[in-house]
Amino acid sequence: MAESLTLVQAVRDGLHDKMAEDDAVIVMGEDVGANGGVFRATEGLYDEFGEDRVIDTPLSESGIVGTAIGMAAYGLKPVPEIQFSGFMYPGFDQLISHAARLRNRSRGRFSAPLVLRAPMGGGIRAPELHSESKEAFYSHEPGLKVVIPSTPHDTKGLLIAAIDDPDPVVFLEPKKIYRSFREDVPDGTYEVPLGEAAVRREGADLSVFTWGAMTRPTLAAAETLADEIDLEVVDLRTLSPIDWDTIVESFKKTGRAAVVHEAPKTGGLGAEIAATIQEEALLYQEAPVERITGFDVQYPLYALEDYYLPEAARVEAGIREAFEF
Amino acid sequence: MAREFKLPDVGEGVAEGEILEWLVEEGDAVTEDQPVAEVETDKAVVEVPSPVNGTVREIHYDPGSVVEVGSVIVTFDVEGEEAAGEEVEAAESEATGEAAPGAAESEATGEAAPGAAEPEAGGEAAAKPAPGDGAVETGAPDSPAELEIDEGRQFAPPSVRRLARELGVSLATVEGTGPSGRITAQDVRAAAEAAAAGTAAEEESATRPRDSEPADATPAPEVERRDRTLATPKARGVAADLGVDIDQVPAVEEREGEALVTEAAIRQFADAQQAAQTADAAAVAGTAGEREERVEYRGVRRTIGDRMEESKYTAPHVSHHDTVDASRLVEVRAELKERAEAREVKLTYMPFVMKAVVAALKEFPFLNSTLDEEADEIVLKHYYHIGIAVATDAGLMVPVVENVDQKGILQLAQEVTDLAAQARDRSIALEDLQGSTFSITNFGAIGGEYATPIINYPEVGILGLGAIQERPVAVDGEVVARPTLPLSLSIDHRVVDGAIAAEFTNTVMEYVKNPALLLIE
Amino acid sequence: MVVGDVSTGTELAVIGAGTGGYVAAIRAGQLGMDVTLFEDDAVGGTCLNYGCIPSKALITATDVAHEAGNAEEMGVYADPEVAVDEMVEWKNGVVSQLTGGVEKLCKANGVEVVEGRAEFQDEHTLRVAHGGQGQGSETYEFEHAIIATGSRPIEIPGFEFDGDHVLSSRHALDFAGEPDSVVVVGAGYIGMELSMVLAKLDVDVTVVEMLEDVLPGYEDDLARPVKKRAEELGIDFSFGQAADSWEETEEGVLVRTEDEEGNVSEFEAEKTIVAVGRAPVTDTVNLEAIGLETDDDGFIETDDRARTELEHIYAVGDVVGEPMLAHKASKEGTVAAEVIAGEASALDYQAIPAAVFTDPEIGTVGMTEAAAEEEGFEPVVGRFPFRASGRALTTGHSDGFVRVVADEDSGFILGAQVVGPEASELIAELALAIEMGATLEDVATTIHTHPTLAESVMEATENALGHAIHILNR
Repeated sequence: MAESLTLVQAVRDGLHDKMAEDDAVIVMGEDVGANGGVFRATEGLYDEFGEDRVIDTPLSESGIVGTAIGMAAYGLKPVPEIQFSGFMYPGFDQLISHAARLRNRSRGRFSAPLVLRAPMGGGIRAPELHSESKEAFYSHEPGLKVVIPSTPHDTKGLLIAAIDDPDPVVFLEPKKIYRSFREDVPDGTYEVPLGEAAVRREGADLSVFTWGAMTRPTLAAAETLADEIDLEVVDLRTLSPIDWDTIVESFKKTGRAAVVHEAPKTGGLGAEIAATIQEEALLYQEAPVERITGFDVQYPLYALEDYYLPEAARVEAGIREAFEF
Repeated sequence: MAREFKLPDVGEGVAEGEILEWLVEEGDAVTEDQPVAEVETDKAVVEVPSPVNGTVREIHYDPGSVVEVGSVIVTFDVEGEEAAGEEVEAAESEATGEAAPGAAESEATGEAAPGAAEPEAGGEAAAKPAPGDGAVETGAPDSPAELEIDEGRQFAPPSVRRLARELGVSLATVEGTGPSGRITAQDVRAAAEAAAAGTAAEEESATRPRDSEPADATPAPEVERRDRTLATPKARGVAADLGVDIDQVPAVEEREGEALVTEAAIRQFADAQQAAQTADAAAVAGTAGEREERVEYRGVRRTIGDRMEESKYTAPHVSHHDTVDASRLVEVRAELKERAEAREVKLTYMPFVMKAVVAALKEFPFLNSTLDEEADEIVLKHYYHIGIAVATDAGLMVPVVENVDQKGILQLAQEVTDLAAQARDRSIALEDLQGSTFSITNFGAIGGEYATPIINYPEVGILGLGAIQERPVAVDGEVVARPTLPLSLSIDHRVVDGAIAAEFTNTVMEYVKNPALLLIE
Repeated sequence: MVVGDVSTGTELAVIGAGTGGYVAAIRAGQLGMDVTLFEDDAVGGTCLNYGCIPSKALITATDVAHEAGNAEEMGVYADPEVAVDEMVEWKNGVVSQLTGGVEKLCKANGVEVVEGRAEFQDEHTLRVAHGGQGQGSETYEFEHAIIATGSRPIEIPGFEFDGDHVLSSRHALDFAGEPDSVVVVGAGYIGMELSMVLAKLDVDVTVVEMLEDVLPGYEDDLARPVKKRAEELGIDFSFGQAADSWEETEEGVLVRTEDEEGNVSEFEAEKTIVAVGRAPVTDTVNLEAIGLETDDDGFIETDDRARTELEHIYAVGDVVGEPMLAHKASKEGTVAAEVIAGEASALDYQAIPAAVFTDPEIGTVGMTEAAAEEEGFEPVVGRFPFRASGRALTTGHSDGFVRVVADEDSGFILGAQVVGPEASELIAELALAIEMGATLEDVATTIHTHPTLAESVMEATENALGHAIHILNR
């Protein structure tokens, strides 16, 4: 049995089914309870599971993350929500100094199996700090896992897998595509394994590595270019740990690669991919890895948003460059 | 609805058939597989079965007509059927199956090599069902290209109009058979099928010329080219600069199971390529003085060439080889040699062989004949003029010794010597080069064992003689050295079959082995 | 939505939930598409809320009262009391039952209904403004769109609708308590239907019409019985009068009209209803954003698959052109949905039936005799008057006839016109005959139940063939 759900509905569905299955799962954050979440990601959960399991917190990211760590260390499975990923910074200290290090620090006696959910990314005409795409900050910290789904089916499965994961997972939801399309999502709980990339489109000429909201424009570019260039599109899904096997295998097949991410170029995960590719498969490389990314500026206000995001035309141009080298 | 039935391919290499007899009449009801006609092809008489249950609507050819494979010979009326392609194909392969054994039999001797004409029809037969099949099955274009809705009143129910759209049929082109010309669903389907048959016919006639190319075209010589080559980015850059295809560079190393090419290898390959290109260019540019020379093709050479061409391309040649123990012959010649010299005659083995050949020709007269193609008659000759091939400076000539059966050994020896001399100094008369009924070529005088001599057209046979020399022979279970004479007999298979050729050769060998037999000949 | 604008994706956006839009949406839902239906006012559109349904409800209700009060002939004596506000309430109940039904059907077929005014932002994006609901507006991204924004009553300059003195047909169906007197501007089908409803409620009705007769566009012999009946009901007519201006008076309104020569006439009543036609609504969707233009009459041009110039944008219903009929809109909506879903559907209908719910009713489909001649056919006409119909006589309504137009040669039925009882229903059989490509013989030889009005259809075809039983054939 399956239902046709949008991505944000899949988040809700995943939370609901997991909470029904496991009493340890707690949802907490700003406006998640009575309001049902500003994006409706937690709609109805408060009514069903009550105020002990769906907690409206004060406006304090540091407090939210810190409390969640404590809950997690003592046996609960909290799923704290940060209303916009850009609001995470006050809670950064808790996350990096403690959640990420608890297992190491306690030599395995304690861990923090929490899932930090936050809508991420741009494309919704929002003001400052509401369009962040800083997955690189979290991937750089050992001890954290980072997940960014791109489809409703994956969203529910990855979220459930993240909740069951014994270590902290940062679960970033690309809000631009929260309601862009529907997909059949199975009823009940199921898992999509963390650390596995998905080949969305097979091809022989060039591999494009991407994730989140950029997956759809990349696939659209692949269709447009289909007559000239046979693209392979790989959706990473987990940004830490990255599925290097799939990436390297794809690169060895095609010999050329591009990375599409909306995060700024410098220090973005495109660099990590380019570096690893040349380490593992230099002899297969026929062209430099093309990074098609956001710019090294603060995310602009919405009048310029469309120039910032690497959408269709820029993706196509970048792929052509990599192909024609 | 009507179903046209085309003459199926009834056997290998058959492009047409003669309709001997119709087994049904117009108006008769027929069942599937019921024989409807008898057709004769080159190889066999074949029964042609009906592909459908129905009635005979129209017969298109009278008995005695020769019809090309693929022509519509009869039309049937069948009720309510859809794709025609499959059933016609089944009939074709059935008919092929029946005729094939017949075709195989006549080939059982395995000698008649199919000439240039055969692969053409064979390939056609094999491939023909396919294009027709596919086209008729789909019936109409796969996705209904959008039809414009016709202006003005249409007299067809909505469901029929929709069917027309789905099948890509424009209502304006459909003739209605309903009351007052109303268009029915059946009318629409018929129109769709007619359109598809038209497409299929077009496709078939379009594909047929293509199919008629020989199926076994010589494959192009292969060039070594890998799918994937490993190389450092720097090496690839070097390859790009030098215009080298990295997948062609010979690889000495391997990594992870893939060929690895170094920068040095690339440079080396580029140099080699360069050198080869220079050489080619030089050749083409005509510093060719040292490498090529042109000689005019005319005169005797040309005549020989024309005649060889004529012979080989007219008569299907088969060569039969054997070796005969010539010990006795050698002894006899040695005995008689001195006597001959006393009479100033050079005695070679040739006269003995000539006599042996004539003795065999008398037993197997068809080897001493000519095929008169115009009269469709084989002319058996009761005189024995043997042509003896002589190599001269101008080329091969074949002087003729007449009436060999009537001349003695020494006389023959003398004539051969004289004619050969005349041929070599170009004093031989033309008439002495004509009129032979059988020829002998003694290439063994120069060397060699077996050959496939070309018949001296329009004769029917030629016997080639290899060198007489000692060779290992099995005698009573032991290998001994004996002088042997290798024989190569080429015959025109239109006139003579392999069996006869073998028997003839055996006979010649008898006389060679035991020359005493010639005394009672 | 707190901050930002997360756009919602949908496969098919249908703008307008009238008989074109909701039918298209439901059909698309049946075919498995992801559909979002946008409606600014009321689901069901004009037809369900302000047109067909409420008018037919009132027509029936007033007929019930009128029939009951005029049946002495049959031995029934009655003087019914009519509570107009209750009648209107009942009518409203019928309407909400139907609109509720449409909403349920939409939901059941997976159609999401969004309240608000939708307008295009670009070829694949639209914005929905939720007027007055505090939520601002939202963005939708669509793959295909169907424009089904319908039409609105034409406003004559000087006669802006105010719902008080100058009423549109919509207002007219909603008055709480009837006026004593009304001037109806326009003697088309809407004007005539309303006039007769009012007359049967004992309202003093005067009809002014610019052209020379009632129901222009219908053949004379169809209009005549209606006009006769209207006059019997006490309706006054004034033809050749163009409405010019009005002013408020003590009684209500004074309407001034001018004829061709410039002579001015005056008509006074409590209210005036203006029913001079309808104009397409294309100014609410921001067509400029997608580069679509309307034609000279304001309609959106479409092809025989209901597509506009833009391959992925369709238009159906009144916004596309005449005839502005609910069933035409539904047909176009159905076809548009099917075409979008990839089916081999098309607008290939042979005829659109139409009905006027006056007393007597009129029903027409296909060609008139004159039209048939123009098309190059040699028409043969069959006619059967209801006064020769047993059933008609038993209903007490035997004015009118059934007329069938066919091609003499082939017998194919080309058109039909009916005036009389149940004309709106009877015409359906003939519409089917035309679509099927039926001949006179096909209908004539089909057994029709006796005693029905439908029999008259059979007899009309028999008459065309020269052998009707219950009348003399020519």
